[in-house]
Amino acid sequence: MASREKTEQTEDTPVVEETLVEEVSIDGMCGVY
Amino acid sequence: MSTRTAQGEVGVDSFDPGSPYRCSPQVSLRPEPFGALVYHFGTRKLSFLKTLPLVEVVKGLESHPDVHSAIEAAGVEEAQRPAYLKALAGLAASGTIEPR
Repeated sequence: MASREKTEQTEDTPVVEETLVEEVSIDGMCGVY
Repeated sequence: MSTRTAQGEVGVDSFDPGSPYRCSPQVSLRPEPFGALVYHFGTRKLSFLKTLPLVEVVKGLESHPDVHSAIEAAGVEEAQRPAYLKALAGLAASGTIEPR
């Protein structure tokens, strides 16, 4: 039971940030043109 | 002569929402239905701003004395402001916004 407490705390805040800004990598598109 | 804004963590550490910021002149901001598309010509990074208030904040930075007042002017609810500050810290780290 004690080992489960650790995982609960890490899931809170980052989700909100991801909905505000999303970075997209376009490096792999160089060869397309 | 510093190019440190391209290095993520430096910008986060130095982000001060009590200071005046602006959208980088190297950034193109294109309005989209979901928010805006951001392209940085220096770092070649493409990002999406996924809420309209965040777009308002980024565009409004230049006409406000600090980040807090730009957030307030955009009508961001108090409960959401910490998340917006974190998002803006990330934008500062990537060079999308910069101190002025």
